[in-house]
Amino acid sequence: MSRSALQLSRREWLRLSAAGVLGGSMSGWLERFASAAADNPQRKRACILLWMNGGPSQMDTFDLKPGHKNGGPYKEIATSVPGMKFSEHLPRLAKHAKHLALVRSMSTKEGDHSRATYYLRTGYLPQGPVQYPPIGSTLSKELGSPSAALPSFVSIAPVPFLSPAAYTPGFLGPEYAPLIVGNQGYNFGQPQPDYEKTLKVEDLQPPGEIKQPQEDARLELLQGLQRDFVAKHPGAPALSHQSAYERAVRLMRTAASKAFDLKDEPPKLRDRYGRNVFGQGCLLARRLVERGVPFIEVTLSSVPGNNGIAWDTHGQNFELVKKLSEVLDPAWATLLEDLDQRGLLDTTLVVWMGEFGRTPQINPQQGRDHFANAWSTVLCGGGIKGGSIYGKTSPDGMTVKDNPVSVPNFLATVAQAVGVDPTKQNMSNVGRPIRIADAGSKPIKEVLS
Amino acid sequence: MIRPRFWIAALLAGCLAAPVWADAAPTDAAQRSREDARALAAKIDRFIAARLAAEKVTPAPVADDGAYLRRLSLDVIGRIPSVSETRRFLRDPGSIKREQSIERLLDSPGYVTNFSNIWRDLLLPEANADFQQRFLSANIERWLRKEFADNVPYDRMVRELITLPMQSNRQNMFYNLRTGAPSPLAFYMSKQGKPENLAATTSRLFLGVRLECAQCHNHPFGRWTREQFWGQAAFFGGIRSQGNNNNPFAPLSEVANRRELAIPGTERVVQARFLDGKEPVWRYKADTRNTLADWMTAADNPFFAKAAVNRLWAHFFGVGIVEPVDDFSDKNQPSHPELLDELARQFASHGFDYRFLIRAITLSKTYQLSSVHPESTPPDVQLFARMPVKGLSQDQLYESLIVATGTPNPNANQRRFAFNSPQNIFQAKFTNQEKRTEYQTSIPQALALMNSKMIADATHPQRSEFLAAVTNAPFLDTAGRIETLYLATLSRKPRAEELEHFRRYIEKGGAAKDPKTALADVFWALLNSTEFFLNH
Repeated sequence: MSRSALQLSRREWLRLSAAGVLGGSMSGWLERFASAAADNPQRKRACILLWMNGGPSQMDTFDLKPGHKNGGPYKEIATSVPGMKFSEHLPRLAKHAKHLALVRSMSTKEGDHSRATYYLRTGYLPQGPVQYPPIGSTLSKELGSPSAALPSFVSIAPVPFLSPAAYTPGFLGPEYAPLIVGNQGYNFGQPQPDYEKTLKVEDLQPPGEIKQPQEDARLELLQGLQRDFVAKHPGAPALSHQSAYERAVRLMRTAASKAFDLKDEPPKLRDRYGRNVFGQGCLLARRLVERGVPFIEVTLSSVPGNNGIAWDTHGQNFELVKKLSEVLDPAWATLLEDLDQRGLLDTTLVVWMGEFGRTPQINPQQGRDHFANAWSTVLCGGGIKGGSIYGKTSPDGMTVKDNPVSVPNFLATVAQAVGVDPTKQNMSNVGRPIRIADAGSKPIKEVLS
Repeated sequence: MIRPRFWIAALLAGCLAAPVWADAAPTDAAQRSREDARALAAKIDRFIAARLAAEKVTPAPVADDGAYLRRLSLDVIGRIPSVSETRRFLRDPGSIKREQSIERLLDSPGYVTNFSNIWRDLLLPEANADFQQRFLSANIERWLRKEFADNVPYDRMVRELITLPMQSNRQNMFYNLRTGAPSPLAFYMSKQGKPENLAATTSRLFLGVRLECAQCHNHPFGRWTREQFWGQAAFFGGIRSQGNNNNPFAPLSEVANRRELAIPGTERVVQARFLDGKEPVWRYKADTRNTLADWMTAADNPFFAKAAVNRLWAHFFGVGIVEPVDDFSDKNQPSHPELLDELARQFASHGFDYRFLIRAITLSKTYQLSSVHPESTPPDVQLFARMPVKGLSQDQLYESLIVATGTPNPNANQRRFAFNSPQNIFQAKFTNQEKRTEYQTSIPQALALMNSKMIADATHPQRSEFLAAVTNAPFLDTAGRIETLYLATLSRKPRAEELEHFRRYIEKGGAAKDPKTALADVFWALLNSTEFFLNH
């Protein structure tokens, strides 16, 4: 195992602690690590995944069938792209239609939350002993830098309850697990409380009663203990432990940790994103992209008044999807505007998806049930031919008529759009190499720019 | 029907005859088994030494008492020793105390829990990743505990698993899963009763053969053909799921005596065939899976005993004699082929007694070698010239933190089902890794160990009962307090320079100028140290 060039040497570590103990602020040489990534002119692309937990209804978002008995009460609105129409409850997004590529022909056989979530997130079905990693892990591994102060994969307010395996880094190991902001454990169905309190990096700071001088003193004591043991036990486990601590301390102490502090942002901008966990989460995602984090996912899993799994609208579909759209629309539209204004949209891919769609037929509770046969996802931003629609469903929404898209093909497209070769392999835990996107998959040329 | 009074009298007589509080004198068979274990341990050392001599490599010295007890406890009962266990062991002047501690640990409930957890994770890896499947695991855990508590021979345990009757009655099934007789039915259910899943998993776990690739095509590097894969799967060919696709809760039924299987997606029908090419001898009325179990656990099966022995070796040494442990192939030659053969032979001839094998391994000098090698670049790990450093499993880490910090521990079973408990969330960060000798630590793990509420509470001078007790004990001076914290976390006494360094820090009071807070700082540092975090 090699030590990266930017890894702290023991002497530097001691100097760090000594600087703290003597009452000085963070030593200047640490800050150069944080800025290195952001200012790099050869910065690679980034991906923001907007994950819609529960299976969003395509019939009421991007593939409406007004006039048909399956259509429901929503109206379609025109967008800034002639021929592209979608839900009236996404008006601000409609203005950004020129950035969007709608994929209306997703089709799978998986209608169970657990399996489908796993499938969409990893590109593989859960089977046997192989622990497939999600694309957040595989793509951030290719795009990120192990010596960066910020971790390469950040997950904002995830809800892993129904498919915990899809939220682990799988065979890539804990180094590729995401840093979680807003960890609610395995709660679901509870409206998220105060977003300021929720959107915190878990364990980023010691409990309030431990002040900086004491923290410094503890770290120095720890360093004293490590020295002898690591020297006598060369090898991966001890080095990895030490390295993880060094990176964690760097994250705690340097400007990097300021990335998570939304109070820096102008209040008007925060209003435009929406004062809720998802809206502020999207704002956080933009900040992280600016600071060189290559993969961020933001989950929309609840709105006030919804006690289920967000988009899993088996009942009262139309009220709930309206509420969800009212959170989704400002957040997503502002994110695209914001990225665009900062010159980041060309190199940032934004993916909108859930694990499946919903039935065209409306059930007796005014809801729609799981439906994997024909549903929609959206790609926008860097690497994507905006203002396009790929694939078509039948007039009743029950089947795909043109260009069905499989999950492997979709994820291959995502990889290609951020400049990663989808056929690249990683070694799995059963000795078989596994590609980022399943063998035989092909990116969809028509949506790539 | 003999009167109850008779039974009571017999019971009393039995109790008075042999005081139950004295150590039961080992029977003759048990004595012989222990002598054989000692002899086998010596043989292990001879084989290892022979290869070391041939490669001109010096072994590390034998580990000291504290290191040995910590390692043995982690490996046998899944946690570090407590302060009192360590003190007692260090103080004991006896020459056979290491052997006695092996017996003590094998007899303790911790052994049963530890190996049940290990085998539950092997049989039901799905339950760690999918909470719906975790509900299946309660009954299989109970079955495993019974097997290990009764020291059921390993071949019989595997046979029970392979030949388990299916339960097709849905009512019965759910009732039994929750409350009924312990049974490993969950193993079949989690694989949805699919013959290909069952064949692949049983081959990997019990034969050390990775068949998965051969499911769809002839193995590119190995010897297994698609034909052989489906021949093995055909033994499970009669099992049917009664639910719709992929439902792990659907009841399973079996078409009796089915011996063939159609390869999915083709017209090809394959007959049940053993992996080593032998033709099954179908006895009249013999169940298909019984025939498989007979072949699998037979004394002359070339895979079974070796795979079992190799897996247990890897548990204690971090790597197997064949590595990876479930991939016996031309590519992965055994590092010590005669040793592997000998261990397999003796395991079988001693009735596949798991404890016998554990004794032999842990009594060997090889197991007791220090993890510190005199040379700066340690020799190849499969020479076993030193004990490699190993990462801890999820359960080992959590149990060790509980012991070291004296944190009240909710019933471990309840913890597995209380998804949102702080304990479960903490533990979920430390998922098991297959290559323990290359264990990786992540940033979120480091943050959790440094800053989480659990650690904060455990290292608070007042909120932590253990720390408060150590801080306020009138019979301890500063050096004594430091020593107690070292024993609690690292299972050893501090070296002179460590003691001096910390004593001075505490007397100065640390950053808060308060000796009690300073002691808490020392405890925090010990809990976050690499030496605590790893098995070495």
